[in-house]
Amino acid sequence: MDTLLATLVSGLVLGSLYALMASGLSLVWTTLGVFNFTHGALMMVGAFIAWTVSEAAGAGPVAGVVAGTLGAGLIGIVIERLVIRPFYASRNMLLVTAMTTLAVTIILERGAQMIWGPRLKQLPPLVDGEIRLFGNAISAHEALLLVAAPIILIALWRFTVSSKIGRSLRAVGQNQDSAALIGVDVPTAFALAFAISAALAGLTGALLGSIRFITPAMGSEPLTKAMIVVIFGGLGSLGSTAGAAYLIGFIEAFLVLWVGLYWTPFALFLLMILVLLLRPNGIFGKR
Amino acid sequence: MTRNNLLLLALFVVLAFVPQIFTDGYVRHLFIIAFIYAIIASNWNLSLGHCGIFNFGHMTFFGIGVYTAAILTKTAGVNPWLAIPACAVTAAISAVIMAAPVARLKGIYVVLVTFAVNQLMVQLVLSQADLTGGAKGLVRLPFLTIGDYSFIRDYKLGYYYLALILLALSTAFLILVAGSPFGKSLKAVRDAEDYATARGISVARTRISVLVLSAIFTGIAGGFYTVYLRVASPEVFGFGTMSLVLSMVLIGGINSVLGPVIAALALTFASEAMAGIGGFEDARYIVIAVAMILVLRLAPGGLIQILERLAPTGQKPATPTRSPA
Repeated sequence: MDTLLATLVSGLVLGSLYALMASGLSLVWTTLGVFNFTHGALMMVGAFIAWTVSEAAGAGPVAGVVAGTLGAGLIGIVIERLVIRPFYASRNMLLVTAMTTLAVTIILERGAQMIWGPRLKQLPPLVDGEIRLFGNAISAHEALLLVAAPIILIALWRFTVSSKIGRSLRAVGQNQDSAALIGVDVPTAFALAFAISAALAGLTGALLGSIRFITPAMGSEPLTKAMIVVIFGGLGSLGSTAGAAYLIGFIEAFLVLWVGLYWTPFALFLLMILVLLLRPNGIFGKR
Repeated sequence: MTRNNLLLLALFVVLAFVPQIFTDGYVRHLFIIAFIYAIIASNWNLSLGHCGIFNFGHMTFFGIGVYTAAILTKTAGVNPWLAIPACAVTAAISAVIMAAPVARLKGIYVVLVTFAVNQLMVQLVLSQADLTGGAKGLVRLPFLTIGDYSFIRDYKLGYYYLALILLALSTAFLILVAGSPFGKSLKAVRDAEDYATARGISVARTRISVLVLSAIFTGIAGGFYTVYLRVASPEVFGFGTMSLVLSMVLIGGINSVLGPVIAALALTFASEAMAGIGGFEDARYIVIAVAMILVLRLAPGGLIQILERLAPTGQKPATPTRSPA
């Protein structure tokens, strides 16, 4: 029973992380129709900026998280302007932007390596101490992640459903031309969606920076998991993406328990292939 | 024979004489690495350019070749001459596994699955450290020899010609595939999927076949690479290698056989030259990534398109002139 609960808790932590990552990917995909490969690198940049502000400049972890979030958001706007906007008219926009964002990932990762060097870095936790959850001790910082993820997801969902700006993002995602006709500024909507997604990545990175080490390559593993999440859940809606994120978090935690840490990626991958063979648009995707 | 094929032939003739001009091991080493990259890039182009499959997992086939050869020669003690062809088989098998879901998927999901396959291979290699050596990799693999003659002697002359022969075989293979009826069905699947289906071409079967075909020489290149360097490390699946080869495909010109080969030669030497500049160890990847974005922005067809714009080939309709008779 103890193992089961411990596994559930660890699945919940993983699920929260994946949900934060994948929701940003989903937002950019539904609005711009672009798969953003820089998402993991933006997360990494957010963590490094948070470290610089919090540790190197000594402004404290809260200021660090805020700076990491805003910094990543700003970089996101620049990326959208430079390597995505010029290709809107391209016939192969999907493929071309996949390649340009991949190139930007290289630039960010190597750039981080040059700026911050190879030494491992870590952020102090936002909150100290431990919390007991179902009889399992987890760090208060991880508990914060557990609480923050659903709040952020719900806030994002309310934003896209209820607010005027959020609805204009969805309108642009559904039909650019009609959205432009009814007075939505399409380029601004694109930039905004990208900035929100990038800021989310930066926030995730800043939060993860006190659980894992901050390295230039730290974004690639969460990005891969986020990709598996969107393969499972489909990229279409925030709800199914978030649902799939928690599902994958739990599956991964149980796989670690059953087949061990070594075989988990492989088992997860086989599961993904199976899902794709049976339901090419994801478990929650429309047929 | 088209003009591009003649250019290729001329290129190979020149390359055959390179070892007579550059006798030091280092320049030959760069050529050998460039030939390997050229094989990977031009074969990647087969699925990406000719068939329009958004394949981001091509380096998986290369990595499978690398680890097949490394494990066979180091752990199982197989002769490298047998291990290298075996890489074609394992790479082709991995292509079938990757192709099974890809055959039915569309658009972004193809990108996601192929990319995820590649990332998961990294994790698999890292986690199965008993077999693969994990992050440290497998080192000190046996030398390639014929009888008593080790290929490392005479400043890598043997490796140079073997790499060149592999590149020539791969290029001939690609030209044959592209020119065959199957090659035309690839283009049909890429440009007009519905029409292709209507004409009796199975899209799924074409995609699986093209992925397997593109894996064969890529796997062999991986096997040769690891036997030549005597090292196998997870780097081969990494982002850095992948983006370097992808930039060769893009800069060379998607959809051509000659372009990626020339781009591989040029970029290997450019990248190596930049590595010589102090502090450019990381910056050179940034330079190449920026070049990749610029090519996509300014010349989406790559260098080959620029060349053709400068000098139109005989295949294109000439400007109409009044015939004298």
